[in-house]
Amino acid sequence: MTHEDMDPLVKLTREEYNAPPETPREEMWAVIRAGMAERTADVVPIRRARGWRAAFAGPAPGWAAAAAAVLVLGIGIGRWTSPGPGPDATLTAAAPDEDVMLAATRDHLRRTESLLTMVQSDSRTGAVDPSVGVWAGGLLTRTRLLLDANSVEDPTTRELLEDVELVLMQIVGAAHVDGDDGERTRSELTLAIQGMDDKNVLSRMQVASATGVGLAGT
Amino acid sequence: MVESSDERPTQHAIVNELELVEQARNGSETAFRTLYDDNVDRVYRLSYRMAGNADLARDFTQDTFLRAWERLDQFRGDSAFSTWLHTIAVKTALNGLRKHGRHGKREAELKDGTHMAPDRRRLDPLARDRLRGAVDGLKEIYRTVFLMHDLEGYTHPEIAAALGMAEGTSKARLFRAREQLRNALGEEMREYVR
Repeated sequence: MTHEDMDPLVKLTREEYNAPPETPREEMWAVIRAGMAERTADVVPIRRARGWRAAFAGPAPGWAAAAAAVLVLGIGIGRWTSPGPGPDATLTAAAPDEDVMLAATRDHLRRTESLLTMVQSDSRTGAVDPSVGVWAGGLLTRTRLLLDANSVEDPTTRELLEDVELVLMQIVGAAHVDGDDGERTRSELTLAIQGMDDKNVLSRMQVASATGVGLAGT
Repeated sequence: MVESSDERPTQHAIVNELELVEQARNGSETAFRTLYDDNVDRVYRLSYRMAGNADLARDFTQDTFLRAWERLDQFRGDSAFSTWLHTIAVKTALNGLRKHGRHGKREAELKDGTHMAPDRRRLDPLARDRLRGAVDGLKEIYRTVFLMHDLEGYTHPEIAAALGMAEGTSKARLFRAREQLRNALGEEMREYVR
């Protein structure tokens, strides 16, 4: 190929190499807007939506385990004492609008799906990457906040988020098992995967995040 | 959409942009939305070119704007907002790709083929793989300049500002990138570029 051929080659590359689709402008803005609100509002901070392990890379700090434990305890108590959705006064006051919540829920499900898929594939080795615990902890917090934001009215979505929450709790638990106790980690993971499979959590999430079906009342 | 290399913001646009930044800094979501609307296509397109994956491109774009929102106080107005924003965008994408590995993620998406628009494709799958392999095979410093300049129409001053290098370095890297592509693709693309 000669120098003269380069321009057509560049043109061809422009057409063929990672040609961008239409910008998902509104979808991204909804997530950005929610992130801006998190930073602006003086409420419990929510880890912002980010891809893969980016937001949670690195070893799990000690406080994460403690926070996860407190959260899990709180969720348990909350479920025993309150059969219906219990609005959180602080969050209700700052609740974003329906579109933002819908986008945030879809985005959250998509990210959780990435984690669950990875955990499912890693479970065969019985090992859990330390960052998974922090990642799952962040998602767990976010799941609870979505449920508590008093905006999830659709029972299908609420049920899905509650199932997701339970799976995430188990993953957080598995991730914080002593690193030398491989057998226990494997057992915790098996339980998490089993629960996930029994309730078709992954496939329900895929449908919801891809199509928005079941999120209309979010 | 590849923007013209000769496009430069007018003085009026820059003043307007500074006003918008000031308003956004004071918490105006509307002002920030305007800045978003003005820049999101370019940021998303570049992110997609670099990642080759819709999820990652979306993540990088969202992160870019959220970081910009957080750091508006650091924007001094020495350059256009878009230049400053693209510095964040390129860093976000490069850091993200280093963490996730650009090849694996894109392959996953290629398998489902959902982002393809078959009617727009001129290459057969084998030739497309060759082309993709050649661009992917470029070192990051060459690939980034090539994608920005040749595929997305950024000027050398814009690239230099975004990547923190001299304009001459940007030109030299583009030259090297094209040379390596020519060498990698050899005669194979000849039939497609006529």
